[in-house]
Amino acid sequence: MATGLITRPKYGVTIKEVKSISMSKSQAPDADPIESELAEFELDELDSNPKISAAEAAKLTARFEQDALPLLDVIYAGALRMTKNPADAEDLVQETFAKAYRSFKTFEEGTNLKAWLFRILTNTFINQYRKNQRGPAVDPTEQIEDWQMARAERHTSGGLKSAETEALENLPNEVISNALLSIPEDFRNVVYMADVDGFSYKEIAEIMDTPVGTVMSRLHRGRKLLRELLEDYAYENGFIKERKS
Amino acid sequence: MSCGNHHDTPCSQILEVIYLYLDNEDCNMERALVAQHLIECGPCNEEFGLEQVLKSAILRSCQPEVAPVAIYERIVAQIADIQVEITRVQKHT
Repeated sequence: MATGLITRPKYGVTIKEVKSISMSKSQAPDADPIESELAEFELDELDSNPKISAAEAAKLTARFEQDALPLLDVIYAGALRMTKNPADAEDLVQETFAKAYRSFKTFEEGTNLKAWLFRILTNTFINQYRKNQRGPAVDPTEQIEDWQMARAERHTSGGLKSAETEALENLPNEVISNALLSIPEDFRNVVYMADVDGFSYKEIAEIMDTPVGTVMSRLHRGRKLLRELLEDYAYENGFIKERKS
Repeated sequence: MSCGNHHDTPCSQILEVIYLYLDNEDCNMERALVAQHLIECGPCNEEFGLEQVLKSAILRSCQPEVAPVAIYERIVAQIADIQVEITRVQKHT
């Protein structure tokens, strides 16, 4: 260990591991700015001579500590949501920051650093933790029609919406977070990124490496499912007196 | 799709962009038109209100996380390691 600052028993992700992860990722060239930026830094990592001067390295570290490290809590929250347990979340966060630091010189100042870190977090998570867990692809157009039809039906049925709104306002946080945990992961992640992390659709699309249409369809589906779950809960637990026919 | 009343912009068009409006995205129409419709139309207004409440309920249900101090320390140590690794060895004069 070069610095001897802190001993890192089993958690340490070695540099070789980080490299092998980035090498295993396919690197299709793309016009997307964040995409090509990432592809670029991954190439940088493979460069046989990526060394910089001591002064440059010190500057890079200072900038990283000032700009990126303060985002540790939000990245940790994101990792916790993905892995659902603190030990895995910590490993994932550590790996994310290691990768981010290695590529930090390619990060374009003035662009959204939180989104950039989330992109690395998501990539690392997918590569590392859920290689074989991807669900079936959803057809965005079909799904959008779904939610629009459901919405249209509700629109004419009229009636108890104010009661629903009031019930939703009164539901305990725990009920809402449990409902969130019970919807499919891809939907949940988009809902979190839009409603909790405050990312735009375009940023979410870049983070998840999907078209904006898919982001929208997942968001619609996720919110619709949540609404149904929470409405059911509200009826069953007396937050709404009368069930709509 | 209509609530039965006349509006400059039909309800169906508003319902199509209601999430875009809620999420502050480009609605493909003037935001002011959407806002105007939401003021005029009770059912659309209720629909929007419900989505708005859901969005803020999701936010309030997520307590902010604080990363453990140990992970911060591990990251700082690892960065120090990588910094050494990526630094060119200086020749002593």
